[in-house]
Amino acid sequence: MFVRQNRLAAIARRSSLVVAVILVAAISLAAEKPKKALAPAKPAAKAQPAKGQPAAKPQPAAASTGDTSKLGSNAPVTNPAWSHAPFESGDCSICHVNKDPKNPGKLTMPVEELCLGCHDQIADLVKGHSAKHKPAQENCVYCHNAHNAPEKKLLKQKPPALCYGCHDKIQAEATKGKVKHDALTMGEGCANCHNAHGSDVEHLLISLPYDLCVNCHSKDDIPDHDGKKLTNFGKLLAENPVKHEPVAGKDCSACHTPHGSNNFRLLKEEYPAKFYSPYDPKNYALCYSCHNDQILAQPKTTTLTGFRDGDRNLHYVHVNKKSSGRTCRACHEVHASKQPHQIRDAVPFGPSSWLLKVNYKQLSDGGQCEKTCHATKRYINGEAKAAPVKK
Amino acid sequence: MKRRGPRLAGLPLLPAAILVAATLYSSTGQSFKHVAIGDTLKNPTLPTLDGKQATLLRADRKVSVFMFLRPDQEYSKYVLDEMARCEHEFEGKSVAWVAIVSDYYPKTVVQPLVDEAGFKSPVLIDAGDTLYGDLGVILQPVVGIADGKLKLVAYQPFAKVNFCNVIRARILFQLGEISQAELDRAINPPKAELGGENEVAQRNLRFAEMMYKSKKYDVASERLQKCLEHDPKHAPCHALLGAIAADQGQCDVAKPALQKALELDPANQVALEAKKRCP
Repeated sequence: MFVRQNRLAAIARRSSLVVAVILVAAISLAAEKPKKALAPAKPAAKAQPAKGQPAAKPQPAAASTGDTSKLGSNAPVTNPAWSHAPFESGDCSICHVNKDPKNPGKLTMPVEELCLGCHDQIADLVKGHSAKHKPAQENCVYCHNAHNAPEKKLLKQKPPALCYGCHDKIQAEATKGKVKHDALTMGEGCANCHNAHGSDVEHLLISLPYDLCVNCHSKDDIPDHDGKKLTNFGKLLAENPVKHEPVAGKDCSACHTPHGSNNFRLLKEEYPAKFYSPYDPKNYALCYSCHNDQILAQPKTTTLTGFRDGDRNLHYVHVNKKSSGRTCRACHEVHASKQPHQIRDAVPFGPSSWLLKVNYKQLSDGGQCEKTCHATKRYINGEAKAAPVKK
Repeated sequence: MKRRGPRLAGLPLLPAAILVAATLYSSTGQSFKHVAIGDTLKNPTLPTLDGKQATLLRADRKVSVFMFLRPDQEYSKYVLDEMARCEHEFEGKSVAWVAIVSDYYPKTVVQPLVDEAGFKSPVLIDAGDTLYGDLGVILQPVVGIADGKLKLVAYQPFAKVNFCNVIRARILFQLGEISQAELDRAINPPKAELGGENEVAQRNLRFAEMMYKSKKYDVASERLQKCLEHDPKHAPCHALLGAIAADQGQCDVAKPALQKALELDPANQVALEAKKRCP
């Protein structure tokens, strides 16, 4: 329904009077409803507090400022690339009380009722879903120009600029973070992942995070900002049946901040880049978002982990060392593996990264690693018999 | 086990074996390590934050919701806030709630979080992480849901997106208030997207209808042609195209359009009315 350049815009350019009258009408249209403060969205990730201290109240990173004044007017623009068909028709009475472009008068009904009268499938999105975008519920012209616009879909600006008008915290994450995500600036921008009208997924996501992420990250040749090729997750997950819980739950955002981050691979917290590191709980902030830090802090346990020989905590033995502690990645794959507990198949070893097989075996009363970083060692935890890995 | 943190004074030690541990280990991580979905849970009585005692589950309720939390963890704080909201929403329904925290955390740390969240149900103190170990908790926060027969019916580790929607749906399903299809929809929501070609066709029809009312037949017809470009089987667009032609006395144009509309939708009122003008 949007067509390029129109004769009415040309008239408007010639006649400042017409522009002035339409501007007045547009202001009255935009004033149909008061601009309310927008509701906060769900909390974003924050750093871990000190041990034993309560967690800080989560902050609504996706919440907007509620200030829609930055979104501009609804008056026709002078150099539109797109025009709204009713405006194009020259009959202002489709939406306004008068036909005359010089004196269109007020709108015939509240703006959202007018828009949704024709855009009835948008109405379903706006009203029929659990996650709602306040501007879409309140006033379509916060984001769209009902007459004409420089951007398709009659958007006043191209996303993400349009969205940053209210979502300044997201803008800060996206622009100030050392690691950027191209998804924000390529294709449809924010609309690559979000439906600005409504959704059944929080944060107005089009679908659950994993389903969105693999849309792009299922290719072999996507480079990161340093030119290093990113993993093809479609392939990796198809080949590796034992999935990390957030992956199985389609929740990439449990570990990654998709708008931008100061951490490698858009991680929300720090994660050791190397296989060896002196033990420092700060290095494992990412893992401690969901895993119990005491697993690595207690030398003896019969409850915190199954990776123990009797009460000797083998997680502690491997990781909690003043020098050369093994980091999580030394033994575990992050996303998925073929072995139980996401144990790696092999570890890159030596300067040429020769692959040293881990040879982990899950046993009925524990497990063992055979001829690997060390000679074959078995542990007995006395826990329940293991079932075969589901493939 | 050597303990770094202060302990809650006066708490009795728990019996070592609290739960019936399932023998099935779920390698895909879709349950607790030692208890699978469908297993019957034991129902230990544990000390509570307010100095009383409470059971993990309630056999007199249709649904028991229990959650393992760590007070120094952001996601646990979030879950406690959200579950407090849920607790309020489900007030008066047959749902019991408990939160479980390790005795590693002193009351002075746990209590303010519970108060701030407004969580009213018991907060169980897991001395020595015994319950944690017996169930085989791997992730925290995590929520388990049991039915009135104390069977584990749902396991839900924290997710950053739609966590509470899913918990709410799982409870409603156990209460018999939503169907399996509605639960599935909450767990795997459909894509939020417009209807593609049909959406564009429909939008053109709506505009054509307005133009038709203003007797702007040319503009209306143009829009209806666009409608049919996007959805050639759009009965209302064929019908209105026929009606416009009929209004203008162009029965030779109207008849095929109306016939097509009625083939697609024999009950189309616009087409049936217009056919009277071009019999």
